[in-house]
Amino acid sequence: MVAPPDNDVLWARGLHHAHGQSPALTGVSLGVREGEILAVTGPRGSGKTTLLKCLSGQLVADSGEVWFHSHPVHTLSATSRERLRLDRFGWVGTEPRLVPELTARENAALPLLVRGEGHRAAKQAATEWLERLDVADCAKRRPAALNRAQQQRVAVARALAVAPQVLFADEPTAPLHRADAAQVLRTLVNAARSHAISVILATQEAEAATLADRTLALVDGRRAGAGQAEGPTETEGREECSLSV
Amino acid sequence: MLALRLGRGARPAVHLRRLLVVGAAAGTAFLLLATLGHAVDTPGDSAGSALRLAWCLVPLAATAQLAVAVARTDPAARLHDGMTAAGLGPVRLALVTAATTVLICALGSVLGLLAFLRLRGSLGGAPLGPEALLGRAPLPYAAVGVLLASVPAVAAAATAVALRPGRSEPSAPCADDPPRTAGRTPAGLPWGVALTAAGLALEVYAAGHTGPGARLLPLPGGLVTGEAGVLTGWLLSAAGLVLAAPGLVHLIGRVLGAGRSGAVRLLAGRVLQEESRRLGRPLGVLMAAASGGYAGYVVYGPGAFALQGPGGRASFGPLTALGAVLVLFCTVLCVLTAVAESRTARSATTEALRRLGTPAGLLRRAAALRASVLLVVLAAVTGGVAHLAAGPLAS
Repeated sequence: MVAPPDNDVLWARGLHHAHGQSPALTGVSLGVREGEILAVTGPRGSGKTTLLKCLSGQLVADSGEVWFHSHPVHTLSATSRERLRLDRFGWVGTEPRLVPELTARENAALPLLVRGEGHRAAKQAATEWLERLDVADCAKRRPAALNRAQQQRVAVARALAVAPQVLFADEPTAPLHRADAAQVLRTLVNAARSHAISVILATQEAEAATLADRTLALVDGRRAGAGQAEGPTETEGREECSLSV
Repeated sequence: MLALRLGRGARPAVHLRRLLVVGAAAGTAFLLLATLGHAVDTPGDSAGSALRLAWCLVPLAATAQLAVAVARTDPAARLHDGMTAAGLGPVRLALVTAATTVLICALGSVLGLLAFLRLRGSLGGAPLGPEALLGRAPLPYAAVGVLLASVPAVAAAATAVALRPGRSEPSAPCADDPPRTAGRTPAGLPWGVALTAAGLALEVYAAGHTGPGARLLPLPGGLVTGEAGVLTGWLLSAAGLVLAAPGLVHLIGRVLGAGRSGAVRLLAGRVLQEESRRLGRPLGVLMAAASGGYAGYVVYGPGAFALQGPGGRASFGPLTALGAVLVLFCTVLCVLTAVAESRTARSATTEALRRLGTPAGLLRRAAALRASVLLVVLAAVTGGVAHLAAGPLAS
């Protein structure tokens, strides 16, 4: 086991994962620095979502290592990974997946409430983020009464309200129209930059990737351009990343 | 054929649910056949036979309700997307589900017939059941056919109506479309309370007029005085319970999630509010059935559960017991099926919560809180109403 570099918030090496019989990731390595925005690009089915799930601890890779702040994630128990997700990570998916019974503000405050923070503090943090994301007027409405862009912003607020260290955004703008998509993405990136949150942004759009510091292209579960037989070594991967800024 | 093919590949839990419907259908068919046996045996007592047949409608309705509840959770109805991709629209899908219900209930009917014939000794071998209950005379084939077909027919018709497009709420997880009923309060609570109150008042009023010549304010036809009045009042109170239940569940959820609630209370309360329609109806029927059970206990007394034949005071024979057990069994299962359905419908949300890192224990605590509060409040309400409603019946 090789100790990861100290300046990386999240670091992964040689990730392999298969969904049943179909391989999704075949030897992907990457490192994310603090406050860095890393775009993971690639067509549908290239393994972006699986990579994000492995990195955030929702899936345990079949082989390979994931380190968060020099602590191994892949060896943690399911409960500890859950706790890690709750305390340190944020997730924005393609679907907003808000809880339909709760209002927008309660949705945004939910992770804080789950963490056990006080009602007032949670509501306040949620309100602040809703204001920052321009959906404060929807705070008391249920998700059913919001349009898609508003729902997605509430989902972003929910992910950011917990002040995560790493935000995973899995094609957060895919179902939105271009204007809405650009705005949601810009607010997400700005919020991450102002709070020094590392972002791993999976996207199919080249425009979205231009907002990122670095881009990592995936094809068929591999780094694009990497050798077929062997995944790239860690140093090669990092050089490649920095070249494609 | 498609219904058969789909049925064959289902998961064990689905098969278990269907097996329970088979059991309920078999019990109902058995009761109907026993009624027929009584009618054939005692041609003179047509009023008694008609009364028995009328009582059979209660388990028949309960069986149909269970069949509908199970059909709602049927994978054929749930795998909507796959079926639409295969060219099976919502109308055809409802018909396929109804056909599945026909198959299940027909199987139950046949099992009921076999059990009935075995107990009578018509299949060879010594008769096992009491002859006075099951009858001795040969049964007319046409009547047997009609009675046996009635269970699948009623259940399938109820399923087709309940699942017809536009009426049924999708039980499949669909995150794209937030539920249409979001935020709306079920309207039945005031009506239900009014109906129950009116029923109780009518009972008390009518009970004062059961004695000979005790007619303070005789109404034309004397419909609401005397025993008919008491019974009508009791039925009104039961109907009020059914009507009020969704609103009551909604109210409980609202109170539970009110104030500065933490995550557990918030999730428990709001989910209850959202699911009040789905859970409220079967819970209302269960409350009414429980109230009926209590009334039966009060009227016939604790000693009435002994196995006795017809005649004498104890008309609570084994067939009545079978019917009562059947109704309670069906209503309880309906509630459990509704719980399963709501769980399936919420699976996308649950998954999203888990993705955020919500511990499973928290979700379990919310569910437990929901269930226990619901149980306590509804049991208290049912107990109160049942006690008040059964009072005049006993006098």
